[in-house]
Amino acid sequence: MNKFSKFLVALAAGLAVFVAAWFFMQAGHYGSVSAHAENSPVAAAAPAPGGAPIDSSKCILPTEYMRAHHMQVLNKWRHDSVREGNRTYVNPQGEHFDKSLNTCLGCHGSNPMFCFMCHEFANVKPTCWDCHLSPMEVPQ
Amino acid sequence: MKKVLKPLIAVIVLALIPWLGVTYGKLDYVFAIIIPYAAGVILALGMLFRLVDWLRRPVPFNIPTTCGQEKSLDWVKTNTLECPSNPFMAALRVLSEVFLFRSLFRNTKAEMAGGPKLVYGSHKWLWLGGLAFHWSMLIIVIRHARFFLATLPVPIELLDTADRFLDVTVPAFYITDAVALAAITFLVLRRLSDAKMRILSLSTDYFPLFLFGAIAIVGISMRYVTKVNIMPVKALAMTLASFGFSEPEPIGALFYVHLFLVCVLLAYIPFSKLVHMGGIFLSPTRNLPNNSRAKWHKNPWNPDIKFRTYAEYEDEFREKMKKAGIPVEKQ
Repeated sequence: MNKFSKFLVALAAGLAVFVAAWFFMQAGHYGSVSAHAENSPVAAAAPAPGGAPIDSSKCILPTEYMRAHHMQVLNKWRHDSVREGNRTYVNPQGEHFDKSLNTCLGCHGSNPMFCFMCHEFANVKPTCWDCHLSPMEVPQ
Repeated sequence: MKKVLKPLIAVIVLALIPWLGVTYGKLDYVFAIIIPYAAGVILALGMLFRLVDWLRRPVPFNIPTTCGQEKSLDWVKTNTLECPSNPFMAALRVLSEVFLFRSLFRNTKAEMAGGPKLVYGSHKWLWLGGLAFHWSMLIIVIRHARFFLATLPVPIELLDTADRFLDVTVPAFYITDAVALAAITFLVLRRLSDAKMRILSLSTDYFPLFLFGAIAIVGISMRYVTKVNIMPVKALAMTLASFGFSEPEPIGALFYVHLFLVCVLLAYIPFSKLVHMGGIFLSPTRNLPNNSRAKWHKNPWNPDIKFRTYAEYEDEFREKMKKAGIPVEKQ
C-alpha cells in the first residue's frame, strides 16, 4: 500500500465517520423533539404582559422589505418568543404584533399556496413545516 | 506592492461599474442581459480558439512524467497509475490530477534552516488550500443550478442539503461559503507572507484571487446580510438559461455587482492563467501512456528523408574500394 492509497483509505474512513455522525445527529434531532417540548422552560413561560393585539389588516413591514427579509424576521421571532419569552413585536410605526406564525397566516393563510408559490419557484425549502402545520395541510 | 494594489483597485473599479450603472444610469438591461451573453460568447469562442490552438500543436515525442515502475517483465511489479502503460490508466491519472491535484501533493519546500543549511521538506498546505478552494468553488457553481433550473435534479439537491447540513442561521449556512473564503484568504496570504513568493507572484496571480474573493463576498453578503429579493433573480437566471431577452424586474444593485464580476471572470478565463481548467486535460506529460518501449512513436511531422545504407554505398564504390585496398563486406 503506497502513501496515496493510505491517504484514500484515511479519507474514506473519515467520510464514513462523518456520514455516521450526521445520521445520528439527524436521528437524534427528530427523536427528541417531543421530549424536549414537555419539560422546556418556555412552555411554562407566561404570555407577554398586556397581551399583543393582532392587527390583521396590514403587514408588519413594507412588502419590499418582507420579500427579501421575511426569513430573518421569522427566525428572530422564533428565537425571541421561544428562547426569551418575548412575544410582542413593535414595528417602526409603533404597532404591536404577536410574534407568531399565526400573525402572518392571519392574512396570508387565506391562500394555501402563498408560501409555496415562491419557494417552489426559487427552489427554497424552509424548515418551518418540519414542526408547524403549513397552510396546505390546514383544511380551508 | 504595486502588483498587489493594481489588481485590487481593478477589482474595486470593476465592482463599482455595475453599481453606478444600475443605481444612477438605470442600465439594468445592459448588466442583466447584454453583458452576461457577451461574456458567455467570449468564454465559448475564447475556449474554442484555445482548444484549436492546443490541438494543432504537434506532440512529437512521448513525454509522460513517470513516478513509478514502468511496465516491464512479468515478474517486475508495475505501478499502473504512476506509470500508465495504456490509455485507460493514463485517463485515470489525468482525472486524479483534476480531482485530487496529485502532483501538488508531492510539493516540497526548500528552506534555509538556521544559517547556511538548505532543508527540503514535504509541504502540503498549498495542496490542501488549492483543493479546498477548487472543490468549494465547484460545489458553489453546481449549487447555483437552483437559480437556472425550474426543478432541481436529485443529485444537486443532495449536494445542497449536504452543504447546509449544519442547519445554523437563516438562510441556512453553507459550509462551502466559509471554506471558499478561508481558502482564498490563505492563497492570498501565501503569496504575500513569503519573500520568494512575493517576487514570483505577478499582478495576474493576484487579480483572479481578488476577483474570486469579491464575487464570494458579494454573494455571501446577498445571502446572509444585505438580502436581495430572490424572485426576480431566479426569473432572470431562467431567462438567461433559456436564451431569452425579456427585461428583468428591478433587483438590488448589489446583485448586479455579483453578476458583473462573474461576467468579467467568464470573459477573463480564456485569456489568463485560469484557462488551466481546460488545459489540464491536454497536458502531454499527464495524458500520454508511458509505452515508449512497447510502441514505436513516429514524429508526425518528420520530413521524408532518403536514407542511404552502407550496402548501397558499397555497391556503388566496390570496385574503387577494392583497387584502393579497402576491405569490402561483399565480394
